[in-house]
Amino acid sequence: MQTDADLNEPLLILRDVAIGYHPSDSLVNIPNLEVFPGEIVAIAGPSGIGKSTLLRTIAGLVSPITGRLEVCGAIMPEKPPRGHLGYIPQKLGLVRHASVKHNVELGARAGIKSRKLRQQRSIEAIDIMGLSEKSAEPIRRLSGGQQRRVATARTLAQRPKLILADEFLSELDEETLTSVLEAVTDYVRESKAALIVVEHDISRAKMMADKLLVIDDGRINPFVKGTKAMEVNM
Amino acid sequence: MKTAIDGKIIASTFMISLILAFLVLNGMVSDWGRLTGGFGNLKNFFYQSLWPPDWSVLEPQVYPVCTARYPFEFTCSTAWIGVIETIKIAFVATVFGMALSLPLSLAAARNLSPRWLSYSSRFILSAFRSLPSLIWAIFFVILIGMGPLSGVLAMTVYTVGYLGKLWYEAMEGLNKTPLEAAQAMGLNKYETALNVVVPESANDLISHSIFLFEYNFRSGTIIGIVGAGGIGYYIDLYLRFLQYDKVVAYLLIIFLVVLIIDFLSIYARSFFNEEDDLRIPSWSEVFLGIFSSANEADDLSDR
Ligand SMILES: Nc1ncnc2c1ncn2[C@@H]1O[C@H](COP(=O)(O)OP(=O)(O)O)[C@@H](O)[C@H]1O
Ligand SMILES: [Mg+2]
Repeated sequence: MQTDADLNEPLLILRDVAIGYHPSDSLVNIPNLEVFPGEIVAIAGPSGIGKSTLLRTIAGLVSPITGRLEVCGAIMPEKPPRGHLGYIPQKLGLVRHASVKHNVELGARAGIKSRKLRQQRSIEAIDIMGLSEKSAEPIRRLSGGQQRRVATARTLAQRPKLILADEFLSELDEETLTSVLEAVTDYVRESKAALIVVEHDISRAKMMADKLLVIDDGRINPFVKGTKAMEVNM
Repeated sequence: MKTAIDGKIIASTFMISLILAFLVLNGMVSDWGRLTGGFGNLKNFFYQSLWPPDWSVLEPQVYPVCTARYPFEFTCSTAWIGVIETIKIAFVATVFGMALSLPLSLAAARNLSPRWLSYSSRFILSAFRSLPSLIWAIFFVILIGMGPLSGVLAMTVYTVGYLGKLWYEAMEGLNKTPLEAAQAMGLNKYETALNVVVPESANDLISHSIFLFEYNFRSGTIIGIVGAGGIGYYIDLYLRFLQYDKVVAYLLIIFLVVLIIDFLSIYARSFFNEEDDLRIPSWSEVFLGIFSSANEADDLSDR
């Protein structure tokens, strides 16, 4: 599917991007950011600073105020890459009245034509997230942690190139957290996808990520490169 | 919502509206004394002409000869025939109305469609809604003649106008995160409508549809009067002959059917309860629910 050349192309490019909801009032400025296949990037920073807004901008839901934003080679938000972008919003965005299965299959909807394959991928993803027994349950009857796992399964079933996850590990107990995190990072490493995760817990962010971006006072600090994230001053 | 809702503001707005309404009414009424006279008239009218209802409307008609056997002779009565025809008209019109309302309400919802599409759909919906179904019935009777088809068309048009509005308002009330997630994942409008919008608002869509069915059944009494079929035909007939006691019998039968539709409505909605959706309420709970508010009915069924 992917050639070697693809692997050297960044999945995400931001150049001189300012984000926010009002043109005159930018929340965060990002001079330069590239994310490559197989990379995991964590975003940290105080609450209300604009972490979720940054992810929503990358997801094509908010237009950048200025600058250039490319996802999987497509210019956002004009030409979103259909099916290649996985998104786990902070509030999950599940269809509460529908079943776990329905929700997970939604992820595969855009990218996979064959209905059979969609179902198969969904069953696998539900299984990985340990929700097989809840497959037919409506979302509203699940606990907060279970709902987070459904949203994660939805993204795994989709098999996107770039995953945006907004605090997707909160509300999980330690044991579930480890297995969910493992499932997602395994997917990212094996499929040469990339993961951008907002994580308020700095130590957890350092544990999982190759790069750590700290948003502080509206600017992204020069991030630290390396196989594992290093100390970042806040 | 620009500001947070404050109980005091709601209460005072309500009180001011109430006082204003009384002042406006007082301005329109020149002689309050007529009200007391009205009660006397009503009492006379009630005992002389309305009560007791004449239940002969439940007896078989003389012609055509009734072929039903005991205890089903009532199926040959004008009341039964009229009610069944009105139910049929209301059912067909509601189902057609739902089919047409779905695309129009999706198009009209501002969170789902571009502005130009939303405004033009709203324009169509309010045009359909601005004439009562009685006027649509007159229009179709003139256009295609008397009979149930005119009734069906009239009710369908009005249903689209009304149901389309209720539906797009329900859709606009949807939480935006599922819509955003669908958009980010790359689902197109059609897939999002079918897989996110409809299941997420199903509760409202269904209860509004049942409400419109009940509304259509009730308005079936009115549009029958202009020859668009149903029980209204008989009501009109007996009104002309000043047989008000028979009219009252028909009205009570209509009331009964409306109650039954209400039962079914609460029963159907109980499948979509937020708290515990597989708990089906007993009939007594449903019956109590009709006389309390819809929310209380939900509470009852949760117990
Ligand atoms: N839809 C919106 N319109 C306008 N302002 C918003 C919207 N959503 C969030 N904000 C504001 O943008 C700021 C950043 O919010 P957010 O990105 O959610 O922060 P974080 O995820 O870092 O906690 C906050 O001040 C918030 O109030
Ligand atoms: Mg946030």
